Amino acid sequence: MVKNCYVHIPFCKQICSYCDFCKVFYDTGYVSSYLNSLEQEIKKNYKGEVLDTLYIGGGTPSSLSLAELERLFSILSVFKRSSSCEVTIEANFDSITKEKLNLFQLFGVNRISFGLETTHQWILDKMGRQLDLDDVVNTISYCKEIGLSNINVDLMYAFPGETVEEVVEDVSFIQSLDIPHISTYSLILEEHTKLYLDKVPSILEEEDAKMYEVICSELSNFCHYEISNFAKDGYFSSHNLCYWRNREYYGFGLGASGYLDDVRYSNTRSMTHYLQGNVRYEEEKLGLRDKMEYEVILNLRTKWGISKSQFFSCYHKSLNEVYDYSSLVKDGYLKEDEDFLFIPEEYWYLSNEVIVRLLEEEVV
Amino acid sequence: MKQENIRNFCIIAHIDHGKSTLADRILEKTGAISKRELKSQMLDSMDIERERGITIKLNAVQLAYQHEKDEYFFHLIDTPGHVDFSYEVSRSLAACEGALLVVDAAQGVEAQTLANLYLALDNHLTVIPVVNKIDLPNADLPKVTEELENIGFDKEDIIFTSAKTGEGIDSLLEAIIKKIPAPTGDVRKPLKALIFDSLFDAYRGVIISIRVMEGEVKVGDIIRMMETGATYDVVGLSIDTPKEKAISSLKAGEVGYLSASIKSISDVEVGDTITLDSNPAKEALPGYQPMKPMVYCGLYPIESSKFEDLREALEKLKLNDASLTFEPETSKALGFGFRCGFLGLLHMEIIEERIEREFSIDLIATSPSVVYEVVLTDGSKVMVDSPTKMPKREVVSKTLEPYVKTSIFTPSDYIGPIMELCQDKRGTFLNMEYLDQTRVTIHYELPLSEIVYDFFDKLKSYTKGYASFDYEVIGYKESNLVKMDILLNGEVVDALSVIVHKDFAYQRGKIVVEKLKEIIPRQMFEVPIQAAIGTHVIARTDIKALRKNVLAKCYGGDVSRKKKLLEKQKEGKKRMKRIGSVEVPQEAFLSILSTSEK
Repeated sequence: MVKNCYVHIPFCKQICSYCDFCKVFYDTGYVSSYLNSLEQEIKKNYKGEVLDTLYIGGGTPSSLSLAELERLFSILSVFKRSSSCEVTIEANFDSITKEKLNLFQLFGVNRISFGLETTHQWILDKMGRQLDLDDVVNTISYCKEIGLSNINVDLMYAFPGETVEEVVEDVSFIQSLDIPHISTYSLILEEHTKLYLDKVPSILEEEDAKMYEVICSELSNFCHYEISNFAKDGYFSSHNLCYWRNREYYGFGLGASGYLDDVRYSNTRSMTHYLQGNVRYEEEKLGLRDKMEYEVILNLRTKWGISKSQFFSCYHKSLNEVYDYSSLVKDGYLKEDEDFLFIPEEYWYLSNEVIVRLLEEEVV
Repeated sequence: MKQENIRNFCIIAHIDHGKSTLADRILEKTGAISKRELKSQMLDSMDIERERGITIKLNAVQLAYQHEKDEYFFHLIDTPGHVDFSYEVSRSLAACEGALLVVDAAQGVEAQTLANLYLALDNHLTVIPVVNKIDLPNADLPKVTEELENIGFDKEDIIFTSAKTGEGIDSLLEAIIKKIPAPTGDVRKPLKALIFDSLFDAYRGVIISIRVMEGEVKVGDIIRMMETGATYDVVGLSIDTPKEKAISSLKAGEVGYLSASIKSISDVEVGDTITLDSNPAKEALPGYQPMKPMVYCGLYPIESSKFEDLREALEKLKLNDASLTFEPETSKALGFGFRCGFLGLLHMEIIEERIEREFSIDLIATSPSVVYEVVLTDGSKVMVDSPTKMPKREVVSKTLEPYVKTSIFTPSDYIGPIMELCQDKRGTFLNMEYLDQTRVTIHYELPLSEIVYDFFDKLKSYTKGYASFDYEVIGYKESNLVKMDILLNGEVVDALSVIVHKDFAYQRGKIVVEKLKEIIPRQMFEVPIQAAIGTHVIARTDIKALRKNVLAKCYGGDVSRKKKLLEKQKEGKKRMKRIGSVEVPQEAFLSILSTSEK
């Protein structure tokens, strides 16, 4: 039974130089057609399940006007939600207003995720982003005032030229906001981005790892529950955990991905196709082995790791019958307790290496 | 087919002088193949041959040619041009009465022009000098003519052709008829047929190329291999025109293919004589000695389960490549594989490539080694073709290595750089001769092991590609040799050991560890790389520990992309060999060859 849903709003007021995600310039004409197509896609595919999480991501959902947001929420009101349903929306500080926040709350948004990325002006300039730190402080305090206190802030590090000290300053600023959730991630120079095309050199591996280490130690008052995520107790992102726990989820909208009935699919990234109703781009039908691989790859990103008992009840095979991980445990790259197999925190930043080795130990 | 109307000949040339193109043009002129059917370089049927533009395996084609009311039959036997393959050249020569010596009209006489000419003369062949590529804008006919006169040809005998435009081909065909003698063997005598090549066909078993010297062989005859004693029924005889055509018999003087449902590869030896079981010849043909391999290396399947497949591949390749040798060998680092012997470095590369392409086996090749002679303190001698077989230093009284005499042909502008190169390679200058006013031959004595590494590439780059060279082995000389080991993470990797001259060990060690550092990816921990002689470390560097290999945050649940990335990383790991706890890519095993920075 699907209990999670992602909805993508691809519009942005400005295009960041590092972003290779699915986005287009905000344009009023496009927004209304887009919302119509989105409504069609949802009506056609949603089967009426009661949702535990609903995540409205982007792009920049907060870039929509009040009227457009009202239209969006009326479309999304078709979803049945459980009483404790986590409803998250992504927002940018330069497009958010008190009115929009009030409207979010009216719809039932109970978690908000802000893209902050950096506090340093020279980096903002290179990213092509705008940010006023006073706005940040005021917006956060308004959120709390109206009871929208489950707040996440995104922080990006390892921007070319950035120093460890600058990262520490970013972290202290975010700490001062007193919010319960922080997502951090190091910049990847993706193809098809402005930075890549400008041939900006990436930061040294050692520097990058050092920044990660510093962030982890600066955020020791948080629970580091997933490679890139930190939260205060009780504020883990239920929606993101559904990904890491290999659960099913709907994905609606341009470029969105979903996982339903053993199929992982992604939607087209072409606005033209999407508006014409050619929504689906590719589908991957998962066999048993694929599902087991996803189970391992995704769960090992979390501090809990993968539950051996749950694996057995899902696949009717014990984990060590499928992957012979004994030598990885012996070398200390994996640890296990009675039920869980997990990557110890000191190897999280090398988790690909550990996971690939584990997958190589597949017992044929 | 009248014996006096048969002409058996081959084409010999320095590499790239247009041998295969000339063969194509002859095929076209004699109507064996229409222009439309003509793929460039028709006789080179293996992909590698066409891609590398060199001929690896020989081919025999029968061509019918009408001349002054008589029909002639040409048997054209193609030969390789590279120095590694001079053994195969001599095989083809033994099946011929004549040879076309092709010289590029712009390049002139080169090292292998001479080497091939001498081989042909040793085999008592009639040689027709052909100056090809006369259409080139920089063709210099008077100069090339003078060079040919200098090596003993008459001006009047030289044929000028352009295989590209077809000019001169008619005079060439006429010269073949007039100058190359017809074969002479007696058809009534007992059968003597020379095996000069063989190949394995999945449906028909072993197919043998033969030149009948005396007597006649027919389909249905029972034949005997005079060396191995094996007997077989002749199932089929054919000739290549270049389409295969079945025939009922082959008579003295003729060249063709024979199949006899031969499944056992070891029954067929190239160079052996075939005779009739019922009426055998008294003596075998002189045949020829297979050339001894000069270069050895270990070949190991990356997937250890492919060991038997590799054995089968080597057996099949050996069938038409008698100079390839192999025997099983075990390496602590690489598992089970084979120690293989080759004529030279190019031969080695081609065999490796054929195994990977034609048999789909991923290989690790260890660094090539020549055969060293080690005299022990008790006076006994050991031949060492692998660094792992090098006896302990305490029991070695002296070490010797094979030396070659090289002939380097070059424009005189490059004498300086070439001498410098030869000195670097431990060479001893012998002498220098002027071919004409601008070109010289330089003779050096060099250790063969130095040529095995990168001599040829260096020579080409030092001389902008103008120099050519050839060499002959002249015997063993004493040399101060030591075994240099490479240690990864403190453990000796036997497959990376190499035998070097003591005076050059320090420099080589330094280059090799640096090169390995570039090639081996970062691991989960810091990995020291050391070069050592015995217990004495002569060079060291460290591969820093991997610090980051992680997928960043997941946008909107796009996890398929992560899985694809991990799958790609997994694929990458498949091309590596785990040695101890270090993952080493294939290329690392050849890095030991690098003798210079970068």
